[in-house]
Amino acid sequence: MTTITTATPLGNDLPLLTVEDHRAAWAAQDVGVDAKSFWAETTRRFLRNRMGVFALAVLLLLVAAAVFAPLLTSYDPLVGNAQDRLKGVFSDGHIFGTDEQGRDMFARILYGGRLSLLAAFVPTVVATVVGTLIGTWAGFVRGVVGNGLMRAMDMLYAFPAILLAIAVGASLGPGLKNTIIAVSIVFIPPVARVAESAARTVSMQEYMEAARLSGANRWTLLRTQLLPNVLNQIIVYSSGLVGVSMIIAASLSFLGLGSQPPAPEWGYMLNAMRGSIYVAPLVVVIPGIFIFVVSVAFNMASDALRESMDSRSGG
Amino acid sequence: MLNIFIRRVMLSIPILLGVTVIIFLLMTVLPGDPATALVGEDATPASIARVRADLGLDDPLPVRYVNWLGDTLSGDLGYSPYRRRDVTDLITQAWTNTAILAGFSALFGLVGGVALGFVAGIKRGKAADKVISVFSLTGLSIPSFFLAIVMLIIFSAKLGWLPSSGTGLDDGTFFQHLIMPMVAGSLTTLAITTRVTRAAIIETYGADFVQTLRAKGLGNTEIFRHVFKNAISPVLTTSGLQVGYLLGGAVLIETIFRWPGMGMLVFNAISSRDLLVVQGATLVIALTFVLINLVVDLVQATIDPRLRRVVA
Repeated sequence: MTTITTATPLGNDLPLLTVEDHRAAWAAQDVGVDAKSFWAETTRRFLRNRMGVFALAVLLLLVAAAVFAPLLTSYDPLVGNAQDRLKGVFSDGHIFGTDEQGRDMFARILYGGRLSLLAAFVPTVVATVVGTLIGTWAGFVRGVVGNGLMRAMDMLYAFPAILLAIAVGASLGPGLKNTIIAVSIVFIPPVARVAESAARTVSMQEYMEAARLSGANRWTLLRTQLLPNVLNQIIVYSSGLVGVSMIIAASLSFLGLGSQPPAPEWGYMLNAMRGSIYVAPLVVVIPGIFIFVVSVAFNMASDALRESMDSRSGG
Repeated sequence: MLNIFIRRVMLSIPILLGVTVIIFLLMTVLPGDPATALVGEDATPASIARVRADLGLDDPLPVRYVNWLGDTLSGDLGYSPYRRRDVTDLITQAWTNTAILAGFSALFGLVGGVALGFVAGIKRGKAADKVISVFSLTGLSIPSFFLAIVMLIIFSAKLGWLPSSGTGLDDGTFFQHLIMPMVAGSLTTLAITTRVTRAAIIETYGADFVQTLRAKGLGNTEIFRHVFKNAISPVLTTSGLQVGYLLGGAVLIETIFRWPGMGMLVFNAISSRDLLVVQGATLVIALTFVLINLVVDLVQATIDPRLRRVVA
């Protein structure tokens, strides 16, 4: 490698680095943002947020209850006893009562949690990954491709979320898998929008220019500079989607588009028991209470996460 | 200014077209054959084939789209064999009922949300703020259909105060019928508007210009007037989206309270696989949503000069 030296006014000869030198420096060095300390700091702040920790504990408890359902109840969630139809809460052997077919509600809630929690998580994860890819790419390349991508997103955005989910769910046909696909499709445009606007802002930062000038190629730029810096905003936004996902998925089941009977899913259970509000009102609201608790807990955890990530909030 | 209006209106044309493409594609992949639905399951293959040809179902997809779009633009959304009515008739009738419910819900949610958000923002950190924040977080997380059922249990089944279904438009009991669907349907709107307003108020009070106003010796009321004008902009931005929530959520709320609007029409059409009704109703709701957002954008550009550049 040739090193040109120049005489400076001070007389000391400084080497002038070539483009190759910069490239080599880029290759040798781990140029990513010091992500570990940022996440360590975020975790520390989150753990000090009582509301966030409480919400997280509730969620973990519910996930554990759903996973270990067979250990917690001896009842079959799918088989009922016709003589035990619509028993009230705290009745003999059925603390949550029984449904319109005499099935134990506690068992159905536990097993139903598996489907309902899945329907809350999976669409959020899928939409976050796909939306981030689309949005970040669009915000990075801009131009015709970027604009085209975002205008396509705008078209999906032109539907009210629940209506789009219902329309997609109706055309795919009923079933939990189709519900998850429908909700994922609904969530991709908003995630892409957040990612695009974040990527646009980051692209204009001086450190991007600096990285480009020192020889980083497109892929390196995306991976080491852009993604780490847009990801925080996307994660905060997406964490708020889990609760919404829970509600939209439950709404689809409620309308008969989600998981099919006899599978216990909270939204479906709420609808199936709607006719029994005069006989066993407390039993009817139980699935709704669970949908509500999970959704509140996710929203609280999301709020706490947002505050923990914001370095301005102190703490 | 006129330029901006025209540009913004032009910009929404591709979006409107995109909406029609999406709906058309969604409904063409819907399982079930419309021709079979029309002539019945036990029809001969020959007669099914004839109906298919009559309906143009054998044409290539782009041709079918253009034909469908042409019919749609002329107000012909097809015929519902299940309901034995023109889809356009069904929708027109249902539309009025939905507009009434959504209008009252929007009013309740937006006005209530702005009021609560202002109180919370001004009393930041005080008891009132905490109560309102808990309330809005609850409202955000409670599914409208769950709240609707709880309200039905309390006010209809237990107390017998409010009627559980219908609009009451023909017997003068409209307001008794309105209360539950309105409150249940707009609680999310109320909660989101509260949060947005609170955040906007807090942010605006922290802005430099408020310092300047204070330094100039303006009173609290005067400052509030300035803050209000600046803080209302983000609230308006979300208000268009809120109306979307209301229109989409109508499917659930109207179904539960048997309110004969677009939502109940869609729900019944889904369960009876009445393809054209789902298509038509979804289209009308989505177009309304786009137009409302367009109006909100234009209103904003009119009252907030900072946004004119962004819009244009």
